Amino acid sequence: MSLITPEIKSLIDPVVSSLKRHQIEGDQEIALAIAQLLMKVISAARWTNTYDLISIIRQVGIIIHKAYPRKIIPGNIVRRVLALIRDEIETEHENTPMMSSMFSLLSTTKCEVREDHSKKQMSDMRAIIIQGIRDLVDEITNVSEGLETMCVDLIHDNEVLLTPTPTSDTVLNFLIKARTKRNFTVLVMENYPNEIKKAHQFAKTLAQHNIETVLIPDTTTYAVMSRVGKVIIGTNAVFANGGCLSNSGVANVVECAKEHKTPVFAVGGLYKLSPLYPFSRDDLIEVGNSGHVLNYDDFELVDNVEVVTNPLEDYIPPEHIDIFITNIGGFAPSFIYRIVLDNYKVEDNKLE
Amino acid sequence: MSEEAKTAAVPAVTTTAGNSAPAESKQLSNKELKELKKKEKAAKRAAQKTAIGITPEQQQKMAEQKIEKKKQQTATATNLKKQLDQTLLKPDVRKVPHLFGHLETREQRNASSPSISHIVHPAILSLTLKYSNYKVVGSTSRAKNMLIVFKKVIEDYVTPANTTLTRHLTGHLSHQIEYLKSGRPLSVSMGNAIRWLKQEISNISIDTTEAQAKEILCSKIDDFVKEKIEYSDKLIVDIASKHIVDGCTVLTYGHSQVLEELFQYCVLEQGKRFNLIIVDSRPLFEGKKLLKNLVNTFLPDDDINDLESINSAKFRMREPITKNHISVHYVLLNSLASTLLRDVDVVFLGAHAMLSNGRLYSRVGTALVAMMCHTRNIPVLTCCESIKFSDKVQLDSVTTNELADADDLIRNIDSKKPPQKKSFALEQFIKQQEEQNKPNKQQNTKKGTQTPTEESNEDESEPLKNWKEMKSLNILNILYDLTPPEYIDKVITELGSLPPSSVPVILREYKNT
Repeated sequence: MSLITPEIKSLIDPVVSSLKRHQIEGDQEIALAIAQLLMKVISAARWTNTYDLISIIRQVGIIIHKAYPRKIIPGNIVRRVLALIRDEIETEHENTPMMSSMFSLLSTTKCEVREDHSKKQMSDMRAIIIQGIRDLVDEITNVSEGLETMCVDLIHDNEVLLTPTPTSDTVLNFLIKARTKRNFTVLVMENYPNEIKKAHQFAKTLAQHNIETVLIPDTTTYAVMSRVGKVIIGTNAVFANGGCLSNSGVANVVECAKEHKTPVFAVGGLYKLSPLYPFSRDDLIEVGNSGHVLNYDDFELVDNVEVVTNPLEDYIPPEHIDIFITNIGGFAPSFIYRIVLDNYKVEDNKLE
Repeated sequence: MSEEAKTAAVPAVTTTAGNSAPAESKQLSNKELKELKKKEKAAKRAAQKTAIGITPEQQQKMAEQKIEKKKQQTATATNLKKQLDQTLLKPDVRKVPHLFGHLETREQRNASSPSISHIVHPAILSLTLKYSNYKVVGSTSRAKNMLIVFKKVIEDYVTPANTTLTRHLTGHLSHQIEYLKSGRPLSVSMGNAIRWLKQEISNISIDTTEAQAKEILCSKIDDFVKEKIEYSDKLIVDIASKHIVDGCTVLTYGHSQVLEELFQYCVLEQGKRFNLIIVDSRPLFEGKKLLKNLVNTFLPDDDINDLESINSAKFRMREPITKNHISVHYVLLNSLASTLLRDVDVVFLGAHAMLSNGRLYSRVGTALVAMMCHTRNIPVLTCCESIKFSDKVQLDSVTTNELADADDLIRNIDSKKPPQKKSFALEQFIKQQEEQNKPNKQQNTKKGTQTPTEESNEDESEPLKNWKEMKSLNILNILYDLTPPEYIDKVITELGSLPPSSVPVILREYKNT
């Protein structure tokens, strides 16, 4: 932890505590907060070569991950920034005279780089990296614009859509944008018990934008699925295998859609793609307040019940999703690993 | 109505028969044809009666009496129905998603139902209220309660003069049933029970006295309830209990009377210990009902005979079966996909009806549970009395279903309790009162500045409070869905266990007996 100087710590601490308290709402806000934080850290930190910077940021990443271990997005942003820095180092290398490839294998990279970089280059580097993060911030804020161009290709006139994730702003913007070009009906699931108010608000907003909206309880999925043209889901995180995390109850819906051969498409910004693989699926899911399921004032029942569970998320296996719509285009789940490789470096998959 | 009428009618018939050119007979509208037929019939009857020896004057009197009677009847049922259709609040705007536009809403049901309270038995009134409040839910308990109330109706029934019980009672019951329907549509089991009862009424010979006939009917109803519901349940429980073994994990959805009895039987009679996962859903929370009933089932106290234990029993709480025998895991439908299904051994589902094409018509959500379990290779069993078997065929959950009140989904989002419903009439009354009070309130709000903030608070907790005013927003609250036969491994009935494909076989056998 010696790398984390008091100055950096004072920058990280407010973000960490608000992450711990779940005070930052929405994945986009979290992503932006982390990107801003990293920008500040990079400008505040004292480093003489880029590899020091990388290890500082890795340390910061570990601290942030521990603040909210179930959230994938902070880790994604940290890894994106790390990849950015590594890319810069590579281009730097290309500029320096090439050594024979065999020789570079033998020598340890660190020593060699330390010799190469002068202080002048460092200040250039800082500016380049910060510019890179600014671009990343731009990308995150403009996610919906990139997505919206896809909607015309995906929705036909008078189609019936079903969305089981009424919490997702991405889905909301996508649908509102699609309304300018197409007429369609949206079935909105309630997401009882955790997100029901948001679901009602979501339905209200859609109706206000002149979209035919039908609010349905979660139970009605199977009954209406035969009439649904497409299922559109929002994601909390997308893994390299093409599986994703979404609201609880979504896994039921997509499985039901699969049974009915109804296409499912998932929307989400590029920043939700994670280089990790979901090896232990039980650990991925956050569990919420069971009082939302069985009221504590029902003393008689609570007293006699062994377990009450309230998972907040569901893991959706890649075979239940047909395409992912991101701001850089649509991809099959089986292709996600390539997109991940484009944006992340394998060295950073493990931060510790 | 005499010879004249006859002569007047006959030529009319002959003329049409004479001009049998197809073009002309087509020109006669249906109405005209009907009238013609009526005249023909009247003429025939008059001829018959004169042949027996009743004078035309007597005939006229009888006819007048009949007409008067008819008038009375029309005043009771059909006429009132028409009046009500016209006068009763037009359902403001029908807020039903267009896919489900063919289903009857609660408002429509109430508007079209005859409010013939003077011929409706008070017990029927209270039962209707219980149906619409979901105080009495579940196919079996609805049928059972209906039959018990019908017994009261039959006991209090007096055959009017000039008719026989066999002929008149069926009509009388039909009025009661018509009213019952205004609470909720009839369930399949109720339909089957009604059909049976009408059959029984018509089987009573005209010679039996009224008192005797009533006695026969009441005892038959008792037997029917015992045979078709109570003993059937016992048989089903006995068969199904073989699937629950010590230490296994059973999953069930919502509440079913037979399944409740099954779980109690397994503990109380067989002393088994098992895990029970109760999956529940909004807005009816029937799983809570099952849980509550299990919690209120206690283990029998064996040693209550000697004085000491009686004394100690006063201090000792009796032990509910959920303490040591059934370990309950209560979840909502949304958590089904998580790790929950990993160690489930068997799934028991309740039924509203088994359709003749092998599909299970049951509480909405059942199909989802059955699908999830089937794809994970967990055996899905359903317990269904043969009274719930229907000869209908249906392919999806959209064509036939029951619409519940959409407001149940909007009001009291946080309460986690089944909707507390008022009767329709009371709701209308309150609405009227509110409308009357509105102008006063508006004056008040001008004076006070606090009210707007209150409203905005309400807006946050219930964002869809005014959903009826939003044109493009609909809320769908259906009660049933259809589970395809491939998800169901076994249907347990009192006649034995069978695959869903054998439902029509049972129907045929059942009809023969």
